[in-house]
Amino acid sequence: MILPVTHFSADSSSSGISSLGVNLKSFIFQLITFLIVLLILRRWVFPKLVATLEARRKTLEDSLLQAKQTEEALQSAEKKVGQMLHEARVQADAILAEANSKVEEIIAKGEVSASERAARIVAEAEERLGLERERLHKELRGELADLVALATEKVLRQKINEREDRKLIEQSLKELA
Amino acid sequence: MAVLSRRQLAGYAAGQLLDGRSPRSLSKELAAVLINSRRANQAELLADDIAYELESSGRAANATITSAHAVGEQLRKQISGFIKKSAGVDDVIINERIDESVIGGVRIDTAAHSWDKTLSRKLTEVREVV
Repeated sequence: MILPVTHFSADSSSSGISSLGVNLKSFIFQLITFLIVLLILRRWVFPKLVATLEARRKTLEDSLLQAKQTEEALQSAEKKVGQMLHEARVQADAILAEANSKVEEIIAKGEVSASERAARIVAEAEERLGLERERLHKELRGELADLVALATEKVLRQKINEREDRKLIEQSLKELA
Repeated sequence: MAVLSRRQLAGYAAGQLLDGRSPRSLSKELAAVLINSRRANQAELLADDIAYELESSGRAANATITSAHAVGEQLRKQISGFIKKSAGVDDVIINERIDESVIGGVRIDTAAHSWDKTLSRKLTEVREVV
């Protein structure tokens, strides 16, 4: 748009500015044109452009701020997660330790209980055995007594006749008297 | 009418017999009392009670002797004498019973006493001791 205003001519070589090789009229014209263009730009173009740039800058700042907040939230969340994991691990360790302790206790109790039960069973078995032995002994003794009595009875039935019986009765009466 | 107990009846009958009343008429009277009081099934028990009353009063003992063989007259006398002395009665009525299961010896039962000198009893005692 700005046209070159400098050119060498034979006329300008005589005055001051012309001596510099600048055409004054063209220069003024170009200056006015420049000012008009500048005014137009300042009036309609630059504000929109600045507003657009400002909006963009704000958007960028907001984005950065959000990103920072997000990063902070992420860090906080990671920290919390780490803390929760730590607590969970501690709790798990405590629960595991308690479970191990209980298992050991249960096993110990079971061993004691089994030992006591075994001793009781043995004692009961011994007692039953003793009772059974005594019962058998008594039964055997009873059977032996029955056999002896039966044998004696048979012998006596053969030996005791009427005469012997009378003697026996007489002797009994003497004993009773 | 008050009902006499069997014990009271037995005491009355023993008294009547000791007073010399005829056993036959007394039996009829007692039978009537038992039937009237609906106790006819207690006749045997009443007879036992009368025997007990007679023996307790020292009048007479009704004895049952159980043996494997017949005892004979001489032994009966000896047994009668023994009962008189032991039970303290004036007279003894002996009922003899033969039971081979006693094997040998004698068992004497009266209404108030009992003596068992049989071999079966001795064998039983041996069994019990063993």
